[in-house]
Amino acid sequence: MNDTNDTSVVRARGLRKEYGRDAGRVRAVDGVDLDVAAGETVAVMGPSGCGKSTLLHLLGGLDRPSAGEVWLGGQRVDRLSERALARLRCDAIGFVFQAFQLMDELTSVENVELPALLAGRSPRAARRLAADLLERVGLADRATFLPAALSGGQRQRVAVARALVNQPAVVLADEPTGNLDSAATVEVLRLFETLHVAGQTLIIVTHDSRIAATADRMISMRDGALTDETRLTGGTSGKLADTAGLGG
Amino acid sequence: MGKLYLVCRLAVRDIRHRPAQAVLLLLAIATGAATLTLALAIQGTTNNPYGRTQAATNGPDVVAEVLPGPGPAGPAPAGAGELAPLEHAPGVTAHSGPFPVTWTTLQAGRTTAGAEVEGRSTAPSPVDQPRLSQGTWVRPGGVVVEASFANALGLHAGDRLSIGGSSFTVAGIAVTAAVPSYPQACAIGCFNSTPYNPGLVWATQADAGHIAHAAAPGPVAWLLNLKLTDPAAASAFVSRYDAVASPGAPSLYSWQSIRDGDAQVIANMQLVLFTGSWLLALLALASVAVLVGGRMAEQTRRVGLLKAVGSTPRLVAVVLLCEHVLVGLCAAGLGLLAGWLAAPLISGPGAGLLGAPNAPAVSGAAVGLVIALAVGVAIAATFVPAIRAARQSTVAALEDSARAPRRRTAVIRLSAHLPATLLLGARLVARRPRRLVLSVFSVAVTASGLVAVLVLHATAAGWSFGPRVTQATTIVSVTLVVLAAVNAVFIAWTTAVETQHPAALARALGATPAQITAGLSAAQLLPALAGALLGIPGGIGIYDAAKNGGTTTIPSALWLAVMVAGTLLAVAVLTAVAAHIGARRPVNEVLQAEAA
Amino acid sequence: MQQEVVLALLAKEPSYGYQLRSRLQQALGPVGDEMNAGQIYVTLSRLEKAGVVSCEQAPGLPDRPDRKVYALTAAGQQRVTEWITDVRWPGAGLAEFHLKLIAAAAGGLADPLAVIEAQRGELLRRLRDAQRAAMAEPDGSEAAPLLEGIVLRLQADLRWLEACERYWTGWKDRP
Repeated sequence: MNDTNDTSVVRARGLRKEYGRDAGRVRAVDGVDLDVAAGETVAVMGPSGCGKSTLLHLLGGLDRPSAGEVWLGGQRVDRLSERALARLRCDAIGFVFQAFQLMDELTSVENVELPALLAGRSPRAARRLAADLLERVGLADRATFLPAALSGGQRQRVAVARALVNQPAVVLADEPTGNLDSAATVEVLRLFETLHVAGQTLIIVTHDSRIAATADRMISMRDGALTDETRLTGGTSGKLADTAGLGG
Repeated sequence: MGKLYLVCRLAVRDIRHRPAQAVLLLLAIATGAATLTLALAIQGTTNNPYGRTQAATNGPDVVAEVLPGPGPAGPAPAGAGELAPLEHAPGVTAHSGPFPVTWTTLQAGRTTAGAEVEGRSTAPSPVDQPRLSQGTWVRPGGVVVEASFANALGLHAGDRLSIGGSSFTVAGIAVTAAVPSYPQACAIGCFNSTPYNPGLVWATQADAGHIAHAAAPGPVAWLLNLKLTDPAAASAFVSRYDAVASPGAPSLYSWQSIRDGDAQVIANMQLVLFTGSWLLALLALASVAVLVGGRMAEQTRRVGLLKAVGSTPRLVAVVLLCEHVLVGLCAAGLGLLAGWLAAPLISGPGAGLLGAPNAPAVSGAAVGLVIALAVGVAIAATFVPAIRAARQSTVAALEDSARAPRRRTAVIRLSAHLPATLLLGARLVARRPRRLVLSVFSVAVTASGLVAVLVLHATAAGWSFGPRVTQATTIVSVTLVVLAAVNAVFIAWTTAVETQHPAALARALGATPAQITAGLSAAQLLPALAGALLGIPGGIGIYDAAKNGGTTTIPSALWLAVMVAGTLLAVAVLTAVAAHIGARRPVNEVLQAEAA
Repeated sequence: MQQEVVLALLAKEPSYGYQLRSRLQQALGPVGDEMNAGQIYVTLSRLEKAGVVSCEQAPGLPDRPDRKVYALTAAGQQRVTEWITDVRWPGAGLAEFHLKLIAAAAGGLADPLAVIEAQRGELLRRLRDAQRAAMAEPDGSEAAPLLEGIVLRLQADLRWLEACERYWTGWKDRP
């Protein structure tokens, strides 16, 4: 399939994922088409069980689709071997999980440098990259802390730094603020805003409208299918004063 | 009463919840118990095969032997005349012989062995007339082979063999009480220049003479059988004689020492079985520790729940212990049964003595010991986790479903310089240092056993220990290796299950499944190597401690290298298989399951 | 009483005064019980004066407001259509949007889900602006709590829109 508009970093066509057999068959993702351009932030929202996490896993190569195609940076990825997928996850995709998924026995900087070491960089280069990223997320002074000594928001920021260490084409975030309280959510919000401004492509699955509001596009999902899409860039038709009750 | 019921119910429920593990635990302990039972059963043999044989053959109370002495040009033949004074010594009522004895090689089919050829008359002797179990007595051209020797060579009446180059027929097979059965024939003195451990063969005096002349070199020794008025005083008779004997005089052996020579065969086997069962018990301990340790994650949470609903720490510990004691008891029962059934197979007096009709008994004391040990192993392995679980605060137990791994700074820092595969392997395996120690221990125990067997063979070198001991050694070695393999699989599997989460995370960050598998495998090789190397001094030490007298020969470097290499290969393969199976699960499943 | 709400209730077909009142009661439940009984008729007469509603006396019935027949004029129709697509917020409050959905469904004026969707987009954009403004405020600024309040309210409203969406999914199949 030859697409003239090939600036999309992530593309999906007819993506489908099924579980179970016969009567128990469940369609977690049902015929999803998606295009994400470079530098875009896309939020996927929907009720729990609608398949948004599954969609993210399919896009990131953590799971294989039952049908359909996934393209990453112009390369078809749904048919790759486990080994090639692993390489892809190393170089082109960064993951941020709801439960942070940091290694408990490693310090922040050691957690962040891990993907770089796996990609084959020298320990010194990896350490430098990690330190820079921790600086970027504002946790340079917590570099030698273990995850247990960090707050939820700080842990997630370390996780985001880790996702960025190999300069991925796209960062996939699965409910990044799901385990965070309101203040920690703001920390992560700020971080996503700075990433967006820096031109990082982001796909965020969330049910938190605050996170969704940072996106360029918000896509609703229900029962495995994308239902509608809302463009969030562009002006609003109302003002802060209106919302605050100071009617004009 | 209600508490007891509750404890039992919880224990049984938990065992039913994880049947595979309980079964494996059972097998591990049962194997050790079975071997121990075997060893004890043989010790408990109270029948008296030697006495029966002595009665049936009119065996001697004292055997006198004069061997060739040193001469100017090599050994000089012994003189039968030196035995003459003994024929009428005070206390002697009857005698037979002197019979000429020579040592040479024997060829039966493709097997070469050593033979001690005793010349006899075709007429029955008054003292020590070997009792035939097959065929007829010696005749010109026909020899009679001692029963256990015949058994070892697979000879029957009518077979042909060649002794000292001349061809003979096996006229018959017989047992005797005058010479210990093969392979202990030289317990009463040989002048053997062949490289083989000889067995006893009777021939006519003429044939024996031919063989003696043909054998090179083959000076003849002389045997005299004596019967005493007081058989019980045979040892005293021998000691009195030895006190005044000059060097070069005939050597005397009491029937008790001959009987002990026979008993040596059984003693050797018992030794092998005892040592083997201790090694197996140690291995079983390691298995149990791994199994129990691997289940600590769920156990801790269960303990927390129990405590949260009001049970005391003591009750909690009791439930945990109860479970494993239950399994230990069943294992003891299984082992006792297996040992009791197998005992008659290898504990018979041996072909060289007349056997008894009833099987060796497993005494009450033996039963008690086996049960105590099996239960002891179960308790020992559970002790530490049980105490810790009972002491931990309830909230901590409920929240913390698994012990968080301790940080190993040195490993983390060093592994950063390794390639990705080894980096992963080192970090994953270093999370549980206790398991690492267990795997070193397990390999060391197995290696010790195998090295001890190698030492056995090296020390014997040509002097075989007889078919029965070899059989026992083989059984123990095989069981050792099987249990060790099972252990290695346990450890590999528990490690793979336990590292599922960090491994899945590593895969999400870009590690390939092959890297994970190879890393886990490689990381287990270093402890395996340590264990195998520890096994070398361990095995030699075990053999030294267990043997009673004699030298210890260290096996050749080649064999040791083979053992070490084999161990490493086995560990690598087993770990790789277990890790490979674990690496197949989709990453998102594992990550979500753990996060839930 | 919100004028547009009454207008929208008339969009489907002309109604008696008492019909309108009972329709409102049904939609508002216990919230409606607190309302003044005669409030709606005041609104209706204002609407009549504004020319968006026409009023007719049914023959043979006493001259009371609840027995009159009210209908939308063309101007009224126009006003209703504008109101449905207006995404201003918060407007007159929860009741207004709630009744908007009900009226849109009852009168076949629009698919309630589409209305919700449009409103949601607007609210998200506002949330974006409010968030940006809140984050741009220096620490300890006096205006910070106000901005945080705006953000939290918008969040709550968005959650409410989700609840509305859940209710209105499959509304056509309901008896």
